[in-house]
Amino acid sequence: MVAEDFKDFKLKPMKCELNYLSKSDGSAILAQGETVVLASVNGPLDIKITSQSMEKATLEVLFSAKGGKPNVSDRFKESVIRQTCETAILGCLYPRTGITVTIQELEDFGGLLTCAVNCTCLALLNSGLSMKHVVAAVGCALDDSGNLVLEPTYDQIQSAAATMHFVFDSRAKTLVTGFTTGIFSEGAYDEALERCRAASDLVFDFYREVVATYCKVIG
Amino acid sequence: MSDVYKVIHPNKYFNDYISLNVRPDGRKFDEQRSIKLNANAISNADASALIKCGNTTVVCGITLELATPKAEEPDHGFLVTNVELLPLCSSKFKPGPPSDYAQVISNTVNDIIKNSKCIDLKDLCIVSDKLAWVLYCDMVCLDNDGSIIDACITTLITSLKSLSLPAVSFDVETEEVKVDISNKTLLKVTGLPVATSFAIYQSPESNIVLTDPTTFEEEMCGGIGANLIVCWNQGLLCGVQKYGGGNIPTESQKNLLQVAKKRSKLVEEVIETCLS
Repeated sequence: MVAEDFKDFKLKPMKCELNYLSKSDGSAILAQGETVVLASVNGPLDIKITSQSMEKATLEVLFSAKGGKPNVSDRFKESVIRQTCETAILGCLYPRTGITVTIQELEDFGGLLTCAVNCTCLALLNSGLSMKHVVAAVGCALDDSGNLVLEPTYDQIQSAAATMHFVFDSRAKTLVTGFTTGIFSEGAYDEALERCRAASDLVFDFYREVVATYCKVIG
Repeated sequence: MSDVYKVIHPNKYFNDYISLNVRPDGRKFDEQRSIKLNANAISNADASALIKCGNTTVVCGITLELATPKAEEPDHGFLVTNVELLPLCSSKFKPGPPSDYAQVISNTVNDIIKNSKCIDLKDLCIVSDKLAWVLYCDMVCLDNDGSIIDACITTLITSLKSLSLPAVSFDVETEEVKVDISNKTLLKVTGLPVATSFAIYQSPESNIVLTDPTTFEEEMCGGIGANLIVCWNQGLLCGVQKYGGGNIPTESQKNLLQVAKKRSKLVEEVIETCLS
């Protein structure tokens, strides 16, 4: 499988605004297609002694769904985002402190969690915390006839046999986080991984564009 | 002496073992712990199983109940899974409502079982829109020493495979329900999902993958629980989850799936032998 085969991929149009919130250390609002997420980062902050770590910063992630009560699947989303951020942030530079990430879902038309991860990454960039690398999340769906659809729409997800989501780092494009639903073969998994890896370039390019617009020096 | 060393300098203790190509408990990197499985461990549950995988011990009990199906899915029964991590199993868990980690474990186990489609919920329906079975599958962890999801899935599937449903007659006019305990049929279970956990340790030279990690190894690898969980269901994948820890190098990705596949065959054999 050659990555060049996938060069003509298009992701959903992404729109982003940094510093969306005035009082947080870093914030970003990101729209991927019609899915919209707002993320805010505060830190490094003082936290209570029991949750302090001598080795590294303690990361707290709060995910608020658009409506209704928090449920178990929100805890799962928080866990995914927290573990992803933990690998990306250089936590050892901020021992005995806390970093709080708050994510607010605004619209969900499929791919909510990938959008949330990307939005969190932009908010982290905006907050100026030291990071090892940035991360890009890409999702894809496998339909009943075995075709892969990159960045599926809401209807495509509902009818899909399987969905797969991957998060890659910006340096070696290795897999940071991955999660799947449904049943699929090993071949389909490998193909999805390679396609998403190739597509993650577009997300990284988008990050660069966003940062360049907000920072004239780099542009 | 080495016990003291483990407490005061855990990172170096672990690294010293890894650099000698051995794990603290003497296993090789890709070696798993021995599995002990016991079906029908609890006599007053409708079906149950107990697994001991190294020190990790999980007991699963299934209780049956009758209920009315949901209006939007009148032909479907219910499969309710729940994993309990009590203070008994590890000092990390406190009494009170389940911690975030416990909720994530519970959610992952539930997802894997739902995704594998090993139970057709339509089989649990007795009379459409009127009566259906509810399978309450409670898993209690007695001792948490890593790779808890593997243990939970194995005991759950063993319990499901040994579960038989009593015959039920339903009178549509009087809505009277009669349960005939003497006439039981085995529940149909298609496929056999088996999960395998890995921890990925970031060493300066390359990332090292540890199969079936203990709690200490999971902690050293920086994740909350295992870093990678691969779930095979008879030649097909039904869940690949990767959280935290080191990043997987592309070349070892394929190898990992094969290790998990091999283990799934072994666990399948264990379950078959246990039930026969």
